[in-house]
Amino acid sequence: MPEVRDRDAAGGSEEPLAVALSGVTKRFGDVVAVDNITLEIGENRFYALLGPSGCGKTTTLRMIGGFEDPDSGSIRLHGEDVTGLKPYQRPVNTVFQSYALFPHLDIFENVAFGLRRKKVPGAEVTQRVGEMLDLVQLVGMDKRKPGQLSGGQRQRVALARALINHPRVLLLDEPLGALDLKLRKEMQIELKRIQNEVGITFVHVTHDQEEAMTMADTIAVMNEGRIERLGGPTEIYEDPRSAFVAGFLGASNLMKGDRKGTAVTLRDSSTIALPEGLAFGPDGPIQLGVRPEKMSLVATEAAPVGANSILASVVDVSFIGVSTHYLLRTSWGTEVVVVVQNLDDERHAAGSSVAATWLPQHTFVVS
Amino acid sequence: MNRFLDMVRRHAITVYMVLALAYLFVPVVVVMLFSFNDNRGRFNFTWQGFTLKHWANAFDVPNLFDSLVKSFQIAFLSALVATILGTLIALSLVRYRFKGRSTTNFLLFLPMATPEVVLGSSLLALFLTLSIPTGFATIVVAHILFNISYVVVTVKARLSGFDRHLEEAAMDLYANEWTTFIKVTLPMILPGVFAAFMLGFALSFDDFIITNFNSGGTVTFPLYIWGAARVGVPPQVNVFGTAIFVITVSIMLLTVAVQRRSEARV
Amino acid sequence: MTKDAAGPPTATPPGAGQAAGAASSKSKRKRVPYLLLLPGGIWLILFYVIPMIQLAGVSLQEGSFQTGYEFTWAWQNYTSAFTAFGEHFVRSILYAGTATLLALLIGYPLAYAIAFRGGRYRNLLLILVLMPFLTPFLLRTLAWKVILADSGWVVGVLQSIGIIAENGRLLATGWAVVAGITYNFLAFMTLPIYVSLEKIDPSLIEAAQDLYSNPRTAFRKVTLPLSRAGIVAGTLLTLIPASGDFVNAQLLGNPQQLMIGNVIDSRFLRIVDYPTAAALSFTLMVAILLIVIPYVRAVGTEDLVA
Repeated sequence: MPEVRDRDAAGGSEEPLAVALSGVTKRFGDVVAVDNITLEIGENRFYALLGPSGCGKTTTLRMIGGFEDPDSGSIRLHGEDVTGLKPYQRPVNTVFQSYALFPHLDIFENVAFGLRRKKVPGAEVTQRVGEMLDLVQLVGMDKRKPGQLSGGQRQRVALARALINHPRVLLLDEPLGALDLKLRKEMQIELKRIQNEVGITFVHVTHDQEEAMTMADTIAVMNEGRIERLGGPTEIYEDPRSAFVAGFLGASNLMKGDRKGTAVTLRDSSTIALPEGLAFGPDGPIQLGVRPEKMSLVATEAAPVGANSILASVVDVSFIGVSTHYLLRTSWGTEVVVVVQNLDDERHAAGSSVAATWLPQHTFVVS
Repeated sequence: MNRFLDMVRRHAITVYMVLALAYLFVPVVVVMLFSFNDNRGRFNFTWQGFTLKHWANAFDVPNLFDSLVKSFQIAFLSALVATILGTLIALSLVRYRFKGRSTTNFLLFLPMATPEVVLGSSLLALFLTLSIPTGFATIVVAHILFNISYVVVTVKARLSGFDRHLEEAAMDLYANEWTTFIKVTLPMILPGVFAAFMLGFALSFDDFIITNFNSGGTVTFPLYIWGAARVGVPPQVNVFGTAIFVITVSIMLLTVAVQRRSEARV
Repeated sequence: MTKDAAGPPTATPPGAGQAAGAASSKSKRKRVPYLLLLPGGIWLILFYVIPMIQLAGVSLQEGSFQTGYEFTWAWQNYTSAFTAFGEHFVRSILYAGTATLLALLIGYPLAYAIAFRGGRYRNLLLILVLMPFLTPFLLRTLAWKVILADSGWVVGVLQSIGIIAENGRLLATGWAVVAGITYNFLAFMTLPIYVSLEKIDPSLIEAAQDLYSNPRTAFRKVTLPLSRAGIVAGTLLTLIPASGDFVNAQLLGNPQQLMIGNVIDSRFLRIVDYPTAAALSFTLMVAILLIVIPYVRAVGTEDLVA
C-alpha cells in the first residue's frame, strides 16, 4: 500500500492542515464507497481527487462539505473537528457539478445568498458582490436570472457565490464537466489563476486526468474507495507504481518478466535494464511498464547499445498529425503502443519487424 | 392518390378534434343559454324565449346563494388543509428513501381507486358509529380526505424535477434546514402547491356524491341542484353556474397570461 | 483579495464529539420523512382505512334502525344483497364499461390530435378540454336532459334516420345514462392518454417509416404500444368513478334501470338498511380493486401516484 501522506503539507509547519481526513469510511448499503481513507491537505494548494466513476471521490468531497456523514473516522478543518456538523456550520463552500444556482433569484441575490444568511449589512453586500462579479468577469449581469445565462457564465456565478464567503477551503465537484472543450480549457486556466490569487485550498474532483494534471499541485488517484497514488502530476505520471494508475493516467505498456538484480528477463528472453532506484526487494516475478511516448522505433538490427529494446511487428499505423501511433505486437503476443513525434518522414509500414527502444530510466515498475 | 389520402388524413384528424371539442362544449353552452330562458313553470327544459330577468334577480331564490357560500367555504378550507398535508407527504416521498414508501404510495392510491359511493358511505358509517352528527364539519373532513391524494400527485409531479443540489447549495451557504425550506424549497414548489390547491378547491366545490352522504342538514351548491332537480331547477342556478364558469376561465386565462409574460421577461 | 474577519462561521469546538455528532444528525435525518408523513398519514388512516374496516364490519351486522345493530358475522347479508340487487351490479358494470369504451374511442383520437397536430396551441387545447368541467357536474348532466329531450334536435335526427322508433325516446333509457357517463368522464380519459402520447419521441415514428411502415402500421406498432400506460391510466380513472356513479342514472335514466350506486345511496340515506348497503358498498369496492390491482402491479404504483 503506497504511503498516502501528503508530504508537502506536513513539512514541519506549526499551522494545522486545511483538511485532514482520518480513517474515514462510508458505506451505502453493501457497497463501500470510501474505504478507510486518511488524507492531509495543506494550505494554499490546488488538490485534485482523480478517479473513474464510482471510485469514491465525490463521496469523499461531500463528506468534507458535510452533505454525507462518514460511518467511521473523523474530518478536521484547520484543526477543528467538524465530523457530524451540518454544511451550514462548516467554513467551506462548494461549487456543484450542476451549479445549483437558485432559479428564482437573480444573479446578484444568488451570489449574495451566503452573505445574507450571515446578516452582512446591505452596503457591504453590494460592494462585495460587485467585486466578486468583477473577479469572475460577469460585470453587469447582476439582474439576470440563471436561466438566461450560458453554461460558462453559470459556472462562474457558482464560483463567485462560493468564493464571496471567504471559505477557508473551496470544494469543486467536477465543475467543468458540462462545458465544451474550448471553454473547459479556458476555465481550467481561470480556476488555477483564481486559486493563486485568492490563496486558499481548492479541492477539485474530476475524472479527467488531463484536467487534474493541468491544474493540480497534488493529485490523489482514487480507485474503489481507496487512494492508490498521491503526489504531484509529474511524479505520479512517471512513477505510477500500480497498473491501475499507469493505465488511468495516460497510456502505458506493461510487460511481465523475472527480475534478477537490475535485469529483467522478458518472455522472449530479451533483457531489460531497470534504473537503480527501482531494483529493491527480493528477486522474482515483476511487472514493468514504459510510456508510449518514451519509446522509439528502429530497424531490428539498429538497436542502440545501452537502451532497452524489444522486438515486435507492426500491426497498425495511425497518422495523427502531431504524431504517429504505432500498434505493435511482441513475439509473445502482447500489444504495445508507441507514439512517435513526426520529426521526419520515416515511417514503418504495417507488417514490418521493428525494435522498440527506450532509455532504462524511463522504465517504471508496477505492483 | 396517396398524396390525396394523406391530405385527407391530415385534415380529418383536425376536423375530428374540432368536432370533439364542440361535443365537449355543447352542454356548457346549453347551461349558459338556459340562464336566459324565459321559462314558464318550474322546469327549465324547453326553450321559450330570451330574458335577462334571471340574471337580474339572481339572488332572489332563497337558499341558493347560501349554498354557494357554503360550497365556497368548504372548498377553501378543505383545499387548504389537504394542500398542507399533501405537500408534506409529497416532500417525504420524493426526497427520502425510507421503509414503507411503497406502502404509503399504495395507501395514497387507494382513495383514488375507490368509487365515491364507497368513500362516502364508509365515512357516513364511521360518523354514525361515533355518534358524530353530519354537517359542515363532516363534509370538510370528507373533502380533505379525497383531496389529499390528488394534492400529493400534483405536488409530486412538480417536485420530481427539482434539483436536490439546490437545497445542499443553500445549506452550503449557511442556511439551516428551516431557512432553506423557506428561502429555496418553498418558492420553487409554490406553483405546484398552488396548482394542487386549485385542483382541490375545484374538486371540492363540485363534489356531489361524497357530500351527499355526509352533509346532514348542510346544503352545498351541488346538493341544492340535486334537491331542486326533482321539483324544478330555477334558472338562477344556471346563472350562477355560468358566472362560476366565466370567472374560473378568466382566472385560468389570466394565470396563463401572467406566466407567459414572466417567462418572456426572462 | 483580503481575508476579512466577518467571513465564514467558525466550527464548533471539538467537544461536540465526532461520534455523537454523526450519530444524532443521522438519526435525525432518518426521522424526518416519517415526521413529514405523520399528519397526512394519520388523516388517511383515520378517515379511510378505519372507515373501510368499519364498513366491512357493518356489512356483517344484523338488525334494524329501530332495534339497533349487532355484529353477528351475518354473511347472509351478502347473499341476500346479491339476489336482490345482482342485476344492478351487472347493469352498473355494463354501463360503466360501455361508457369507458366509448370514452376511449372518442378520447384517444382527441388526445392524439392535440399531441401530434396541436403544435403551439397544445396547452390552449388542453385547457379547452378541461374547461367544460368547470361547470358543476350536476348542471352539465341536467344539460344533457335538455339535449336529449324528446322534443329536441338530437332525438329528432335519430328518429328520421331510423335509429330510434317513431315515438321512441332517449331519455329514461340506458343509452342516455351511458351517454351521460361517457361525457362526464371524457376528460379523465383524454388527459392521461395525451400525457403518454406527448412523451413519444417523434423520431421513433420517423424511424418506423424509414423501416418501411406506412402511417397505419407505424401507429399500430409504435404509437399505440407506447401509449399503453396512458390508456391504462385513463381507463382506470374513468371506470372507477363511473361504476359507482348514480347521478347520471338518476337524472337521465328510469327507475327500472338503476345502477348499484343508486341502490347504495337509497339504502343508506332513505331506506335505512345499513348492513345491506354496507355489503353492497364493500362488494363494489372489492370488485373494483380486483380489476385495478393487476393493472397497478403491471404499471407500478410509483407511476400512477406520480
